[in-house]
Amino acid sequence: MNARSVRESHRGASTDRHPGSPAWAPPLVLAGLIVIAWAVSSSLADSAVYPGPAEALESLWSDLSSSRFLGSVVDTARVLLLSYGAAVVIGSVAGMMLGLSAFWSGAALPLVYALNSIPKIVLYPIFLLFLGIGDMSRGSFAFVSGVLPMFLIMVEATAGVSRLHLKMSASLGMSRWSLIRRIVVPSVLPSLAAGMRLCFGLTLIGLLLAEMFSGSSGLGYELLRNLSLARVENIMGQVLLIGVLALVPTLALQQLELRIRRRYEVTA
Amino acid sequence: MTARSVVPAYVRPTPARVAGMPARGWTLVLLVVMVASLELYARSGAVSRLDLIPVSEMATRSIELLGDRDFVVDALLRSALLICVSFVASALVGVGVAYAMSRYRWIHRAMKPYVNVFYALPIFALYPVMVVMFGTGMVPIILLATLFSVVIVIANSLVGFESTPPIVTKLARSLEMTPSQQLRKILLPSALPDILAGLKLGLGYAIIAVLATEFILATTGLGQVVNRAYNNFNTVDMYAGIVFVSVFALLANLTLSAALSSFDWRRR
Repeated sequence: MNARSVRESHRGASTDRHPGSPAWAPPLVLAGLIVIAWAVSSSLADSAVYPGPAEALESLWSDLSSSRFLGSVVDTARVLLLSYGAAVVIGSVAGMMLGLSAFWSGAALPLVYALNSIPKIVLYPIFLLFLGIGDMSRGSFAFVSGVLPMFLIMVEATAGVSRLHLKMSASLGMSRWSLIRRIVVPSVLPSLAAGMRLCFGLTLIGLLLAEMFSGSSGLGYELLRNLSLARVENIMGQVLLIGVLALVPTLALQQLELRIRRRYEVTA
Repeated sequence: MTARSVVPAYVRPTPARVAGMPARGWTLVLLVVMVASLELYARSGAVSRLDLIPVSEMATRSIELLGDRDFVVDALLRSALLICVSFVASALVGVGVAYAMSRYRWIHRAMKPYVNVFYALPIFALYPVMVVMFGTGMVPIILLATLFSVVIVIANSLVGFESTPPIVTKLARSLEMTPSQQLRKILLPSALPDILAGLKLGLGYAIIAVLATEFILATTGLGQVVNRAYNNFNTVDMYAGIVFVSVFALLANLTLSAALSSFDWRRR
């Protein structure tokens, strides 16, 4: 995740308005086509390992009425919220601190970028060795997956604060604290919002991967449990559920990002 | 800096050296300090050898692994092959889809929202489904890695295609160029820097996806080496595998970056 992809996702969040049919029509048609293709191909294949959408929803419905599964959903949501919150707060504050010093950013960033380009999942056994199987290890792993990109985004954003504004604050003799509160924070808010959106997806992926590798509850664990029981329709149903659970916060964060950008983005 | 300046540090020009060392030197110092403290901590006896081994042992063991024929053929070459296949597939498909999106407004409007939210979806949840359908061979890994890396290629290439200056497109129309001429002589060269940035990210994503899927569930491969060592309490091999994977990912990223930036006309 480098500065460029961050910029790209800035642009990506803006929805362009076209006259004519409403913006949501074509994506919905595409989704409908995919569901129809899924239903038709599964009924043609008529195979036990390729269930159709109706069977998937049916088994999801029966899963949702089991208290063990609901417990797993709640577990995942709880760990996700904690690690996501920690990743956003720690990543953005630490990123801002480092970003204010160009020299130390230059010294430390290569290491952080290198660390970030390692496929983090292979580091997960280390978390297990030190923290044991449970909420601590998967939570910390999800935190690490989310905090590095958040940190990098915030360092780049803080380094990009307009020099003119910095000079102004210097000539006004602003204290360090009011510099951060009145100049830095408002300038980095759009990046912070974009970072929060990216960080959410990455934390969730980290958490699910950790649960899939080893866990005693959680959505990732349920997926692999159903795999060993060869209950594909349950897996499909749960994948749909995970998709919905991931989409709702993402769309909310996208809206937040749009609002913040309208209010705070500096257009040169 | 002996004389205290009234100008705050954040508006002073970035110093070339701090304490007589340039930023690169400090990067090295940071790296050495981190590695050395890990080494000392592991050797101090404060931590069990089952949890952590000295860095020097990790390194020697991972070099030994290179001489192990089984490791090289079954794990390293196989993973490298999977990464290459998924990377090439996602590069071709990604640029193709981005071209279609930039050419046909309807495709653009149907797909753009999905491209925007794709990385919020934990796509690895689909891996168990693919394993049930295609077995634990190479097919599900390639499918998942291609799917995971293609979207970042699409997003970046689309930015490239869309940032073609309108005046050049007009020129193409007045020269009555065919669509394929337009693509080869105008769109591709003009979008090249963004496509290359996308490919670079795409390789990173392909590596992550291949190693993560191998790590969770596979019969062999680099990710599986780490997983198996962890499950067998073979801490030495586990750390050696982690070090190997990290160096492998770093080298692959650096090599591709160097290779790609030689094509990038914006940097010449």
